[in-house]
Amino acid sequence: MKEYSSKPDVNWLERLQQGDEEALASLMEMYYNDLYNYGSRFTKDDGLIKDCIQEVFISLWQRRETVGAILSPKYYFLRAIKNKVLKSLHKNKRNAASSHLPAEYVFFHEFPIERVIIEKQISEEKAEKVRRTLSLLSERQKEIIYLKYYQHLDHGQIAELMNISRQSVYNLLHETIHKLRSLWHSEFIAH
Amino acid sequence: MKDFRLFDISDFVMDEDFIRWVNEKKKADNDFWDNWLSQYPGKYMVVAEARRILESIGTEQKVISEVEKQHEIKRLMQTIRENLQEPERKAPVVPVSKKWWYVAAASLFLIASTFTYWFVKQDKKPEKESAYAAITSSRHLVESINTSGKAITLRLPDQSTVELAANSRIAYANNFDSTDTRDVYLSGEGFFKVTKNPARPFRVFANEIVTKVLGTSFIVRSFDKDSVIQVTVRTGKVSVYSQGSANDKEINSNQLGGIILTPNQELVYEKLNQKFQKALLENPVVILPDATNPVNMLYEDVSLEKVFTQLSKTYGINIVYDNELLKKCTVTADLRNETFYRKLELICKAVGARYEIIDGQVVVQSSGCD
Repeated sequence: MKEYSSKPDVNWLERLQQGDEEALASLMEMYYNDLYNYGSRFTKDDGLIKDCIQEVFISLWQRRETVGAILSPKYYFLRAIKNKVLKSLHKNKRNAASSHLPAEYVFFHEFPIERVIIEKQISEEKAEKVRRTLSLLSERQKEIIYLKYYQHLDHGQIAELMNISRQSVYNLLHETIHKLRSLWHSEFIAH
Repeated sequence: MKDFRLFDISDFVMDEDFIRWVNEKKKADNDFWDNWLSQYPGKYMVVAEARRILESIGTEQKVISEVEKQHEIKRLMQTIRENLQEPERKAPVVPVSKKWWYVAAASLFLIASTFTYWFVKQDKKPEKESAYAAITSSRHLVESINTSGKAITLRLPDQSTVELAANSRIAYANNFDSTDTRDVYLSGEGFFKVTKNPARPFRVFANEIVTKVLGTSFIVRSFDKDSVIQVTVRTGKVSVYSQGSANDKEINSNQLGGIILTPNQELVYEKLNQKFQKALLENPVVILPDATNPVNMLYEDVSLEKVFTQLSKTYGINIVYDNELLKKCTVTADLRNETFYRKLELICKAVGARYEIIDGQVVVQSSGCD
């Protein structure tokens, strides 16, 4: 697991366990961006995402005696925010409390393709083709790319977060990369 | 230890070490991959494609503003403190939209935090040490400022010349006599033609980066208002370092190290990300003096190897290809009046190959000729 600041977190969790409010604030400070970003993949409702993040930290505070079981704070937070956001989206829709998560959800993710197009000076016609291919990626393919390359989770964590097996993570990644590959392949053959 | 020779494109794209190299371009990783690729040039195209895929995926996330974040932290602290008095009840989160007085509190906080931020900023941001003003003000230097609105040419104490662009300034020690090096400080843009003296390296300090040469001609463009610093080489070789890096010893030696640039290559330094990127000029110029040995680029059934060798020499640009695979390829073409890229295109078309520009080099990939 590549976690860029795993050492300091351990300390914060210990202090949190002892009831230190400062530790809670520091954890929020550290992970706010990641959480907000991941949350915004499921909804564009800014207020809802912020409320969900609040709830994640409040419930962490309420269960602070048990935080010793958290191995990777980042993974813990990402999982919690995903559950919270999907649940409240579901609730809003059905107007009734439901305990299980919807299996289908929309995953918004924009590739920085416009920048690449400008940098590599790709013609408008080709750029259109690139955009089309990227838009063909499925929700799950976008999510796996996001978790691996933006949140740097390992394959085991991705598997749990997406509710699929490790092997499926590998297969899905492979499939996705293959799609991206054919995209650039046709792009750079000399004409 | 992983055996990267067995990796295909997908393996590279998924590999943590490879991803780190592409995203962060650290020196140690650069060195490793340069070395690895020179050992296995056949892997160049696979690596290039894997890089391209990663670049198109990207890594940047939208960053939420510090003010918003602090505001949310304060909101959390408030909730858990209120909650201390009623430990039995589950804390409800007051939706952002419904709590009208919250807006008032938030804007107060916003004002407060703006002030704090401003003061902190003031405290924490001393003048950057590498900035032109900071370096030049503390020394006794000869300074020339070009306010004329057009480029002027200056002669330096060692007979090197600099064509100083409008709104640019340059400073140097009188006679260059105090050190083992010839040091020049630049703010703006200058085209330097440096007289050869391998014993005394010539160095241009331009904000965050240092360009070092032994004798050559090159352009440094470093205006304070720009987000990038550019170094372009006309003849010879130059090396570029970032200032304040661990390279101080290397900068001072008379060896060329750091990032090496050769003719028709350009280096772009992004100030914000502190990243270097090597590229080829948009329209490379012929660097061989016509008089000595003009290359006639009219080819009839000439081996590809010879064509590439001549092209490479004429422009001083490295061309990487698998010689074994392409040895049967021949070229028939008239390339006398074409630009560099047009030449490259025509050659590739003739042998069914494709090319890419990677790190200021041309990389050619083909399945070979029969």
